[in-house]
Amino acid sequence: MSSRFPLVPENAESLPTLNESEGMLSWVASIDHKQIGIMYLICTAVFFFIGGIEALLMRVQLAQPENHFLSPEVYNQMFTMHGTTMIFLVAMPFLIGAGVYLVPLMIGARDMAFPRLNALSFWLFLFGGILVYYSFLTQSGASDVGWFAYSPLSEKPFSLNKGPTYWALGLLAAGIGSIASGLNNIITIFTLRTPGMTLRRVPLFVWMILVTSFLIIIAMPIIGSAFAMMLIDRLLGAAFFTPAHGGSAILWQHFFWGFGHPEVYILVLPAFGIISEVIPVFSRKPIYGYAFVAGSTVAIGLLSFGVWAHHMFAVGLGNVANAFFALVSMLIAVPTGIKIFNWVATMWGGKIHFATPMLFATAFIIEFVIGGLTGVAIASAPLDWTVTDSYFIVAHFHYTIFGGTVFAIFAGIYYWFPKITGRMMSETLGKWHFWLTIVGFNMTFFIQHFLGVMGMPRRTYTYHDLPYWGSMNLLSTIGAFILAISVIVFILNVIVSLRKGNVAGDNPWNAWTLEWATSSPPPVHNFDLVPPVRGRRPLWDLAHPDMPDEPNAKIV
Amino acid sequence: MGVFIKGEKEMSIIQLLTSSWTLEPWVLVFALVLMAGYGLATGFRFRGKTVIFSTGVIIMLLSVVSPLDYLGRHYLFSAHMAQHILLLLIVPLLLLLGIPESATQKALNIKPIGAVMKALGNPIIAWFLGVGSMWVWHMPSLHNVVLQNDDLYIAQQISFVIIGMIFWWPVFAPVEDRRLSPLASTLYLASACLGCTILGIIITFASAGLYSAYVNPADTAGILPYLRNDLCITPGVDQQIGGLTMWVPGCLIYLTASMITIAKWYASPEADELTAHSGGSVLAEAGSYKRK
Amino acid sequence: MMVGFFVASESFFFLMLILAYVNFHGSQVDGPTAVNSLNPIVTGIFSLFLLASSFTIWLAGKSLKNKNHRMLKFWLLVTILFGAIFIFGQGIEWAGLIEKNITISRNVFGTTFFSLTGFHGFHVCVGLIMLSILLGLALFGDFKGPKSDAVECVSIYWHFVDGVWIVVFSVIYLWAFL
Repeated sequence: MSSRFPLVPENAESLPTLNESEGMLSWVASIDHKQIGIMYLICTAVFFFIGGIEALLMRVQLAQPENHFLSPEVYNQMFTMHGTTMIFLVAMPFLIGAGVYLVPLMIGARDMAFPRLNALSFWLFLFGGILVYYSFLTQSGASDVGWFAYSPLSEKPFSLNKGPTYWALGLLAAGIGSIASGLNNIITIFTLRTPGMTLRRVPLFVWMILVTSFLIIIAMPIIGSAFAMMLIDRLLGAAFFTPAHGGSAILWQHFFWGFGHPEVYILVLPAFGIISEVIPVFSRKPIYGYAFVAGSTVAIGLLSFGVWAHHMFAVGLGNVANAFFALVSMLIAVPTGIKIFNWVATMWGGKIHFATPMLFATAFIIEFVIGGLTGVAIASAPLDWTVTDSYFIVAHFHYTIFGGTVFAIFAGIYYWFPKITGRMMSETLGKWHFWLTIVGFNMTFFIQHFLGVMGMPRRTYTYHDLPYWGSMNLLSTIGAFILAISVIVFILNVIVSLRKGNVAGDNPWNAWTLEWATSSPPPVHNFDLVPPVRGRRPLWDLAHPDMPDEPNAKIV
Repeated sequence: MGVFIKGEKEMSIIQLLTSSWTLEPWVLVFALVLMAGYGLATGFRFRGKTVIFSTGVIIMLLSVVSPLDYLGRHYLFSAHMAQHILLLLIVPLLLLLGIPESATQKALNIKPIGAVMKALGNPIIAWFLGVGSMWVWHMPSLHNVVLQNDDLYIAQQISFVIIGMIFWWPVFAPVEDRRLSPLASTLYLASACLGCTILGIIITFASAGLYSAYVNPADTAGILPYLRNDLCITPGVDQQIGGLTMWVPGCLIYLTASMITIAKWYASPEADELTAHSGGSVLAEAGSYKRK
Repeated sequence: MMVGFFVASESFFFLMLILAYVNFHGSQVDGPTAVNSLNPIVTGIFSLFLLASSFTIWLAGKSLKNKNHRMLKFWLLVTILFGAIFIFGQGIEWAGLIEKNITISRNVFGTTFFSLTGFHGFHVCVGLIMLSILLGLALFGDFKGPKSDAVECVSIYWHFVDGVWIVVFSVIYLWAFL
């Protein structure tokens, strides 16, 4: 670091910790984006744990053919709640929470544009999630109609329990919170950037959050209105999606997947952002093709609204519609592929340092590409017809969401934990976590490709004793338990590092974006002084005044 | 090769394709007027943009005189939609891109013409004209009337070219400072894409027979059995293809345009303005820096 | 900017309800439908009040710009009044339909009609509350002018609510009867 960089003074007021009793109240009433971000991260961790238990219970039930560990009714609740939890209560809020914590720091701002709205978003998420889970305490149990709640199964008279009603209400509340976050992010990024940080110089994580926020404010109202219609159907006896009453079950599918497909890009774009931050730092090279990564993100955002019917190939839309949707679905793989090239090109010729964040980021590329390849395969309607609703699809989306988003989340946690807490995570435990995850994850899900092709259907609580089905499922279950152990190692790492981790300092990774220009953890007001921004790597420019990223950037 | 009977004569596809070219005088006149006007405005100098403009005129000619027009007018809704995409999106874009900046600036400087251009070039007006004209012409009653009335048909086609140019103006105006900023352009195009998507969805998923003229057209060329039986293009399939053509290729055109705009944005240099404190220290104050 | 994006977001919410209505329009063969149950003239008259209220809130904004406090309060009041008349009209219409046993659960027309107009009416009511808050603040002496973010934001929202009604009215009332 250049000696020209001024030392940031010691924090006059440090961030309240959870140990202080009055601190607890200050957390509940907080509107500071860092505290809200931390609350997002902690609550999503709890939901991740719960969703994981649900998955393990399913895997135990599936470990042997014709098992009776879980009844079919309970199994249905498990897969519904596992999917709902992981998507709506873990992945989405984690990424939103990461954005809430990091975006103001990365753009050199003091907080978000609407701090109180930020807090409202968090509490709507938390209470929405609690409302969804409250359904477990009712007599009829939780929602059991799948996370996509297809009609007419989700409507009367096929679904008379209260689970789906709680589910829709809770998610509606959480969804409103997400929309508020999306709006907040957009205004923050458009208006609160520090001087010199133009939109073409923002860290790629910020750009991804920007595009994701646009996706959120368009896609969430779509599902919100669908949930409203579903609730009106269930509670007021209306006819939106009930065929017997004149309604249309397909309409629900159109609405749900009209939201559902942009939703998966909401889940993955911020993950791309995390990877775009981690890989350059640990390759000691700037990202290769910043403009391509940024531009292809916009392409993905726009295209994501036009491919939803590839979730409906087997529903009978007709060959013409299927063909068009198949084409566009294959097309959307192109901008994603462009990013993969950019990340690999960044690593190429770089001085790679495989700390734990980089391990997860590199594994992300491999696992996500596998998921992406199966995705391109099932974009072809005839191929999809043979494997739809089978474990091939389950394997596909776990490779993209777990191998993609969750791996990126782990990379992000290891990367930014020092900034948030002021302590480094243990590299030893980190490597154990990483390798256990690799073994467990691939063991659980790779074999599911084969099970799917062999015909094993999803969302069914058991299966016949067909050749090799039992042994393959058993292998998958063992993999799931290895994953569980890896999560325990991770939690251990978090606890141990919080207590005894090395003190991190401002910039332990020698990174270049603005969040590393302040103390770890940052003071309440984020920055005493923001370094000047005349390029995409402000701290590099500061440390290398003779070799700035943009030599033509003028100081007026 | 499909063979079909016209009257008592058998006709192959090749014969159909060669015999259904319809050279209507107005098209030639319009094309000549366009080229003449272009030549006058640019001083009859040949340059790169001339090729672009001419390509636009040629595509316009082709789409109106070729079998595409014949098929679209008498047989297939999807062919008609393909023609519309060419006339509303591709041709006007090429024409606009082919007009040099100097000629445009001269026109803008002429008070009354400039005022009209600025009014029409207002993004909101241009957007509503472009998307609105698409919606209006697709009302079933109006659509059928146009197919039957030659004059209205010609008027519709000319209106597409003109309105198309107005629509593309905020994104690709030859004079740079009349354009929207790159991000605003993307929003402009994305919302237009949404506009044509909704129309495309409605047409694709509506029950067949939305446009009665195509359900049972008069089979003057004798190809109807070929279309219906050999190619399996029933009125329902035809309507789906038409709706999807408006929707998918239409939106891909908007998407490509916004990608090009964004690419140019990233390639252009930053306009840097930072105030330096005296003494060489260049640290800015922390905190919010509100920008409208 | 915030309200602008919020309004864009809410448009998608309404878009889905409108698409649902359009999807089912015409598929109703018997029972109550738009054509045999609705009165576009009466509803049209009440709609004029809502449209006028967009004009009056624009006038309120102009009064603020001219620092004309009295007229600001006056036009805000008129806007609220007109909006309330519109809601009143909606209420009578709903009451009339429900009396004839045309309810949200009767058939797809009832479902889509009541949902679409209901959510719109809800948005109008929220707008009326915000306008009342503005009026109250103005009565207490706020809004010295010439600019006010609050007035501008509520105005944009109110124009949006009006715009949605124009589309809804066209889709439900005009389309059925044309």
